[in-house]
Amino acid sequence: MNRPMNDDMPSAAGPSRDVAEAPKLRLNEVGKSFHLPHGETIEAIANVNFDTRENEVCVLLGPSGCGKSTVLRMVAGLEQPTTGELTLDGEPIVGPGQERGMVFQAYTSFDWLTVQQNVEYGMRLNHVPKQERRERAEHFIELVGLSRFAGTYPRHLSGGMKQRVAIARTLANAPSILLMDEPFGALDAQTRWQMQELMMGIVEAANTTVLVVTHDIEEAIFLADRIEFMSRHPGRVHEEIIPSFKQGRRIGQKEELIGLPGYSDLERHILQLMREQGSDETTP
Amino acid sequence: MADASRQRAYRSRWFEFLTPVPRGWRLVLGALVWIVFFGLWETAVSRGWVNALLVPSPVDVVATLYELFAERSFLGDVGISIARIVGSFLVACIIAIPLGILMGSFKTVEALFNPFVSAWRYLPAPAFIPILLMWFGTGELPKLALLFLGVIFFLTTLIMDHTSQVRTELIETAMTLGGKRWQILWTVVVPAVLPNVLTSMRQMLAIAWTYLVIAEIIASTTGIGAMMMRARRFLNTDEIMAGILIIGVLGLSFDLLFRWSQRVLFPYLGQEGD
Repeated sequence: MNRPMNDDMPSAAGPSRDVAEAPKLRLNEVGKSFHLPHGETIEAIANVNFDTRENEVCVLLGPSGCGKSTVLRMVAGLEQPTTGELTLDGEPIVGPGQERGMVFQAYTSFDWLTVQQNVEYGMRLNHVPKQERRERAEHFIELVGLSRFAGTYPRHLSGGMKQRVAIARTLANAPSILLMDEPFGALDAQTRWQMQELMMGIVEAANTTVLVVTHDIEEAIFLADRIEFMSRHPGRVHEEIIPSFKQGRRIGQKEELIGLPGYSDLERHILQLMREQGSDETTP
Repeated sequence: MADASRQRAYRSRWFEFLTPVPRGWRLVLGALVWIVFFGLWETAVSRGWVNALLVPSPVDVVATLYELFAERSFLGDVGISIARIVGSFLVACIIAIPLGILMGSFKTVEALFNPFVSAWRYLPAPAFIPILLMWFGTGELPKLALLFLGVIFFLTTLIMDHTSQVRTELIETAMTLGGKRWQILWTVVVPAVLPNVLTSMRQMLAIAWTYLVIAEIIASTTGIGAMMMRARRFLNTDEIMAGILIIGVLGLSFDLLFRWSQRVLFPYLGQEGD
């Protein structure tokens, strides 16, 4: 089997080997090339292999241009791989679907719907009965702390609040995996870490599998149960990193995380990777 | 002392970049030019600077307008003009709005219709008047057809452009929430583009007024334009000017109607306006 390293999982991931044998999400030799107008072909992504396990937060991290967003978009079914195969629960991914809900970096609130209606929107598409729709929306709006704003139009919300609406809307639609493309990238620093902590609480409460793309190292270490570090030209998984210093725990506060022994070593290691892989001198 | 210097620093100045004018002053300034305009006009007529036969005074024009409505059933002409514009404009909208939205949403529909639609935009609608008269005679049809031709191709293109600018992320969000193609069209694309559809309609209605007057001046015995051409025969310049005035008032009223419906239909956009 040509799965990437690190099958010596820390015990925290659970004792059962079966979990590892039946991954939630599996990318097998996934590659993508683009044809340029003058006949040249650019290999943007090549031989990407990784698994994401049930209820795991998996972070795709890497320098800009490594294709991490493209990988996420392929998982979402918004882009087609040129080679390889992606499966969710063993089923091949052939286009977007309700089971792979995505939160984008750009704000995606529907301006013409209130917060409540925005969060109900996905369930409306999937014909969830009215009563259940309302209750589930209320639950997730409360989870992201926006109950006071349920009747408000997005125009009146701040950037961070709009992202919370997007998260609630996606989760209320009961996806099998939550995909996030630099979800906090457009937010200011303070809102950003508040959102990261909120996200941590939500992941715990909703008990969901998450695949996040980021280029923020601290965010990656904070959120991740597993980090797939990608390098460029072509984009591929360079190293799989388990932040084992967390001992399988989810840390709710950033200062606690940063205070843990092992945090700074891992941050230094990833910074070095970023420097090596992000520098244009490594480009052939 | 400190107060005085602060006042100097923050004194309000008339010509300043990026500085709004208070609402009251806006009204005063806006009315000012009109008052000067009518004042000069009235003066020019009463002092005999211009031939009173060709240029009636503004007071005469208003008096004539009253007379037209009160005694000469001008309301019928105005009603016919409004009916023509609303009728043909509605037909144009019924075709242009769905077509434009489909062209903006699906590249195949655009590839099919756009070469046809955009070619027609370069043919000025009045060029069709002779042939329309030959085909449809002098009834209502040639007027309606002219208005229709003048509006539909531009309106379709405007709506197509607005639709293709609906943000990709909104559509992709709906896709990853499990939306089917037609669900996304109805619940994302249409509501997202609707405010811009209304704006496009507002812009095209102003152009429709132009074609209406052309049609009524060239080939009609009824309507505001026809009344003005009749008045020309009897050198009734005051009636011509009254006609111009009423066209202006009607155009402005329709514009205000559209702005009002924009606020009523899309309260979530806020009151920015233009």
